Amino acid sequence: MDVFLQQCLNAISLGGIYALLALGLAVVFSIVSLINFAHGELMTLAGYAIYAALLFAMPLPVALGAGVIAAALAAMAIERVAFRPMRRADATSLLITSFAVSVILRVLFQNGISARPKPVALPPELSGVVTFGPVHLSVIALASIAITILSLAALSLFLTRTTMGRAMRAAAEDFQVLRLMGIRANRVIAVAFAISGALAGVSAALWIAQRGSVDPLMGFVPVLKAFIAAVIGGLGSLPGAVAGGFALGIAEVLFQAFLPPEALPFRDAFVLSLVVAVLIWRPDGLIPAKTGRRS
Amino acid sequence: MTMTIRALLATSALGLLLSAPARAEDVVIGLATAQTGALAFADQPSLAGFRMAMDEINAKGGLGGKYKVTLDVKDTRSDTGATVQAAQELVAEGVKVLITPCDADPSIAAGQISQTAQIPTLTFCGTTPTITDAVGDYMFGTYPADNGQATLLAEYAAQQGYKTAYILKSPDTAYTLRLPEYFADVFQKKGGTIAGEGTFAMGQQDFGAEVTKIAAMNPQPDVIMTAAYEPDFPAFLKALRGAGVKAPILGSDGIDSPTTTGLGAIANGIVHTTAGFPADGTPLGDFYAKYEKATGAKPETVYVATGYEIPYILDAAVTAAGTMDGPALRDALANLENVPVLTGKVTYKGTNRMPIRDITLVKIEDGARSPVETATPDAALVPAP
Amino acid sequence: MTPTSSAPFLTVTDLSVRYGAVEAVHGLSLEVERGSITVLLGANGAGKSSTLAALTGIAPAKGGLQFDGLSLTGMMPEEIVRHGIALCPEGRRVFPSLSVADNLHLGGAAHVKGDALAARIEAELDRFPILRERFHQRAGLLSGGEQQMLAIARALMSAPRLLLLDEPSLGLAPKVVDQVFDLVLSLRDQGITILLVEQNAERALDIANRGYVLQSGRLVLSGSGAELAGSDLIRQAYLAG
Repeated sequence: MDVFLQQCLNAISLGGIYALLALGLAVVFSIVSLINFAHGELMTLAGYAIYAALLFAMPLPVALGAGVIAAALAAMAIERVAFRPMRRADATSLLITSFAVSVILRVLFQNGISARPKPVALPPELSGVVTFGPVHLSVIALASIAITILSLAALSLFLTRTTMGRAMRAAAEDFQVLRLMGIRANRVIAVAFAISGALAGVSAALWIAQRGSVDPLMGFVPVLKAFIAAVIGGLGSLPGAVAGGFALGIAEVLFQAFLPPEALPFRDAFVLSLVVAVLIWRPDGLIPAKTGRRS
Repeated sequence: MTMTIRALLATSALGLLLSAPARAEDVVIGLATAQTGALAFADQPSLAGFRMAMDEINAKGGLGGKYKVTLDVKDTRSDTGATVQAAQELVAEGVKVLITPCDADPSIAAGQISQTAQIPTLTFCGTTPTITDAVGDYMFGTYPADNGQATLLAEYAAQQGYKTAYILKSPDTAYTLRLPEYFADVFQKKGGTIAGEGTFAMGQQDFGAEVTKIAAMNPQPDVIMTAAYEPDFPAFLKALRGAGVKAPILGSDGIDSPTTTGLGAIANGIVHTTAGFPADGTPLGDFYAKYEKATGAKPETVYVATGYEIPYILDAAVTAAGTMDGPALRDALANLENVPVLTGKVTYKGTNRMPIRDITLVKIEDGARSPVETATPDAALVPAP
Repeated sequence: MTPTSSAPFLTVTDLSVRYGAVEAVHGLSLEVERGSITVLLGANGAGKSSTLAALTGIAPAKGGLQFDGLSLTGMMPEEIVRHGIALCPEGRRVFPSLSVADNLHLGGAAHVKGDALAARIEAELDRFPILRERFHQRAGLLSGGEQQMLAIARALMSAPRLLLLDEPSLGLAPKVVDQVFDLVLSLRDQGITILLVEQNAERALDIANRGYVLQSGRLVLSGSGAELAGSDLIRQAYLAG
């Protein structure tokens, strides 16, 4: 029972990170129908910003803030340089553009910074353990859960209480009409990218807290997870992305925990089969997006 | 006008022809290695060391004292198909030696091309002991092989009195799968028991579920061994200690990076293998100082040193063969014995062309490594690949 | 076309709208007088909605678009609405998962802020009391008629001088259709110029100062509301008699 409880906490902690990752993709997809595969490289960039800030002996909160801001600015810059000129292009061209941006950034990191991982040494307090009765939780897992909840709450406040947040939700449903209201499309898209970048920065901080380093290819696995989670949840749906992230995290942890040892090497096959089953059952995902109509 | 150009061309062509015999000692070594992509973390530093050594040897007259070497470096982007293409181009160009990436798959694929062309081929730091036999008699490893590393770790575990071990492996690469299995093999030969084993998917970083299972083991294993490396190893270690597991950890050369020492107190007591430890006054220590002087920064990894060693291994073989013709060079390489390099001595004689060489065990304490021992694994214990 | 005493509020000259290979509007010219109700009639696909799309900047347009001394050609939709032209689109197109409050908020947010915005919302709620009852509900849960009221209210949030209404009575119960036409009249009486696209030609011509009839993207007939209502073409084509 204690083990089960512990595994549930593990699942929530992992699911929270996946939820943040998937949200980052979904925020952009909901508005411009683009799956930004360079999202992973935004995480990597945030990682290098955190690394550099720590190198200059900045306190940890400042360094983490620097990572989030760097990723948000970079996301806006990428939108301006790579995606805005492609605004009228079809989904495939946009997808290829995002792959290109991703590859270019990776090569820049490898040849401009280093192909080797750069260590990001976090304060020893973060390696501690907190014990609640029978369950142990590492400070990192606890921080992940707390930061995930805070980020989701902040995003939800932004989306419901501010004009820009309302505009972003409206843009996901009917961008054209939103423009007819006089709300500037470029600004909404830029803010969507900035939020997506900030989410990449927060996820990067949590991701790096686990691995202790940043390397040029760091973003590959998380963007894949984000993509899977966003698809399970319903592409372009923000509540869906959160649901998909938690669903993926819970499935991964529970399979890892309770599959017999002989089947463990096939854990990802089990997880992906479950994903396929979910998509057969609900082809538009757990919480489908309200697709904007275009006429 | 046209006549003049033709005459000029003819003259210069003739000149090239005439001068060709005088420059017959110029040879090309081809490198089909990954300067971008997933293998760049190993191939980039290896290449940096390789270049430095080649420049030194050229300055002294070349390989064997007479073959001045130019390098043709092609980036394989860590893609096996691109590695094959690069190898084909280099072979067609007539390179005398081919260098392949730090990984089994592209090395085997490229080696099959150079094998047919009878060109001796060396992998940068491919450690899978089956690389050489998968290709043939022109394929050579240069780096301590997985089964050798595992043997040394198992011998150390037995010496420490550990009776039970837990191994963590990933089927994603030969390195992360076979190295712990070789360890288990030798550890059991030495009287130990494998109390449990776990599996992980590389790059996913989530070890919560796995360490919860380890924490629930009763009794706890005496030692935990894995060949996981970044980003998996630090994530595993953090999760493991976060779950309250205190068993000591044995690792392989993949964690020989600043990240591991940057993990703070939780890294204390980790013992892992490496190709060499740059203690002051050792050849490797001197090399680190020399490299820092030349480039302004210490090597980020021992791969710089193992890359640097390869031209010197070649130099020894060319000196012995007196030529760079493929079959003669192959035989000379295969018969090398006790060639002194930065990290010890390298021997190919009597092997399947994965070298016998020293391996160092280091221990991490308070953010720094210290050498535990340097030894050549006991050949009688080393598991067959 | 009879010349009008005052300078036209909106002048469309030789307008063409093309989507890829399809030309939806060919060489259309029309005028809308300040303070009038002008009706665009035509069958489905005649080019009415495309004309409105060109006027609001959401469709690529060629030709002259003069609005109160200002050329709209090449302007972005976000700019055009700032100059006082609002579109209430066909099919209502409220933001379904946003509340009535949020829909209204977005209608005005680009034009006024803070208390002024709240005051405008308050004014629209006075105009459409049903929206006050539904204020915190999601727009997608409203009835068709309520959604139409919301769509018009949202367009009015920008305090337009020219309101473009695209099929506002489509699919509504007869009682609600009456409300819509009454509303159009009262808006005109408050000084808002109206350009109305309607299937319901009879009701539309009844309140129109002027009407234009499109067929396959071309202007085929124009005149005062009464003239058109009496024309054979209109009788045969639209007035089911």
